[in-house]
Amino acid sequence: MIEVERLEKTYSTGGLATPVLKGVSFHIDKGEYVAIMGTSGTGKSTLMNILGCLDKPTAGHYGLDGTAVGSLDDDALSSLRNRKIGFVFQQFHLLERATAMRNVMLPLIYAEEYPEDAEEMAERALTAVGLADRRRYRPNELSGGQQQRVAIARALITDPEIILADEPTGALDRKSGLEVMAIFKKLHEQGRTIVLVTHDRGVAEHAQRIILLKDGRVAEDRAVEERRDPDVELNTLGAGEDDG
Amino acid sequence: MRTQRIVWQGIQSLGTNKTRTFFMMAGTIVGIAALIVVVAFGKGIETKIMEKVETFGPRAIMLIAGGGKNAPPDMTVTTLTLDDAQAIREQVEDVEIVTPMAWRFRINMKYKDNQNEAVLWGVEPSWHEAWSWYAVEGDGITDQDIATMARVCVIGQTIKRELFGNSNPVGESIYVNKVRLTVKGVLEKRGTSPMGGDFDNRIIVPITTAMRRLLNVDYVGAIRIITKDTELMPQQIKKIRALIHARHHITPPEEDDFRIASPVLIARMARGTSRTLSILLIALAGLSLLVGGVVLMNILLISVAEREKEIGLRRAVGATRGDIHLQFLAESLTVTCIGMFAGCGLGVLITLILKQATKVPITLSWEPFVLSLTFALMVGLFFGVQPARKAAALNPVEALR
Repeated sequence: MIEVERLEKTYSTGGLATPVLKGVSFHIDKGEYVAIMGTSGTGKSTLMNILGCLDKPTAGHYGLDGTAVGSLDDDALSSLRNRKIGFVFQQFHLLERATAMRNVMLPLIYAEEYPEDAEEMAERALTAVGLADRRRYRPNELSGGQQQRVAIARALITDPEIILADEPTGALDRKSGLEVMAIFKKLHEQGRTIVLVTHDRGVAEHAQRIILLKDGRVAEDRAVEERRDPDVELNTLGAGEDDG
Repeated sequence: MRTQRIVWQGIQSLGTNKTRTFFMMAGTIVGIAALIVVVAFGKGIETKIMEKVETFGPRAIMLIAGGGKNAPPDMTVTTLTLDDAQAIREQVEDVEIVTPMAWRFRINMKYKDNQNEAVLWGVEPSWHEAWSWYAVEGDGITDQDIATMARVCVIGQTIKRELFGNSNPVGESIYVNKVRLTVKGVLEKRGTSPMGGDFDNRIIVPITTAMRRLLNVDYVGAIRIITKDTELMPQQIKKIRALIHARHHITPPEEDDFRIASPVLIARMARGTSRTLSILLIALAGLSLLVGGVVLMNILLISVAEREKEIGLRRAVGATRGDIHLQFLAESLTVTCIGMFAGCGLGVLITLILKQATKVPITLSWEPFVLSLTFALMVGLFFGVQPARKAAALNPVEALR
């Protein structure tokens, strides 16, 4: 599914070359739930941008679902993002003036073929994140957790190969964060490939596997021995807190 | 289909901030409205001028007794004579008709118990041809009438109605200034002059009869000259002026005792101030379109900066640079197009109000609307391209940060 071989990325500003990724290699198979972890400045954002086809590597190979991404032009990358990648951002990035439905349907605008059942698809995606009853709400009428769930529904609507989540709980309180992680868990159980990018080991331990970046290289790539279960934790949190 | 969806995204974003959208289109509205008014105005005035020229005669030159620019022609200046007409006939080349005229503006006439006041013209036979104005009943003035100083007249339709009602006037006698004249014909109907006078309230008599028997003068009021070729008119006017200067012993800068009118001069006079006004309005239209365009561009540029995250997100979910470009261009074009329609509406409204409130001739036509569309699209494109390009050039990674 994802093949990364000796990936390098060097930024050059004003003649000064700054290597950020210095030969990163790993494979991620279909249906895996992987966390890419690292403190800030280790190149994890850069890696995420490359995995998300928002940026291109300076050297090395990135294969996504059999496509060599490095050789594609800007338009082809856009199309690839549209078809194969579902983004979830820390800051949600919803269109403020659009309803949840319209936000979820946004990627369909840029699809080659606009599906006839776009509305039903959006409703299904919203149902999958538990927000079927909020489809007419605008972002400012939703809580942070709900907004992030709308963003996940938006990532799901094109039925992407991978879901790429960048610090998805970073802007949320603990309970909302767990609810979001519970959705990822469920999506993973349904067979989706999820790549979680985070600096937080606690968040990373929801995944099956952690790839730890340090100074532009893979420092560690191992399975998580004791995976956290968001559903269990939500239960123990009790019913007293709000939906925050 | 995909293009349509993206264009629709651009149009939708206009609805989300109506104040901003209004300011974006304000300049276009004013500019287009001014354009509509100025063209309607100019058209109306041009129509009026054409009317005047048509009435005057496109091939005609009028040599009028009395100096000054705009003084109404009168019969108090005594220096223009039949000999002047003859001299023009002999010395100016390529003129078809030279016909002198003597007149009196208010003259009383009587038939039985009916009275009327009308304009009297003393004319030569060529007058009919010079004004393309012929008798529809009976006959016009003939050479024979001139030679014999015949006591005959040809009357206009208004006089016929006033004096004779429905009966046939030809062969009847009327009294004009106590002189008995036989009606030998009736002129065809001409209607109202551009100035509002009644063309048909006039009576024509042989010029000799007019000068000797009715007015007792040895001079004429004006000489009408019809050229064979309008191209030659400027030289012919020059020649006539020089000729009359010589004959009347006038050396410039001494003041003329005559003036010359031609279609060109008539048109120039009629355009006069309206031209300045038109230029001013056109400048206003151009300026507001320009300022409006710059405002539009700046608001769009601000909006691109404000919406960096939105642009980044759209790029992340699959929008190409071209898609973003198209979205912003659709936005600016839609703004200017809506502005154009509003401006057209406003322009038509102002035009109609002006038409009601003033006597300025105003003609609405389709041309300014086509022109407006062109201008609106040009403004939208010209001032929309830069923001659109800027939006499309945003790096999604940086836009999302």
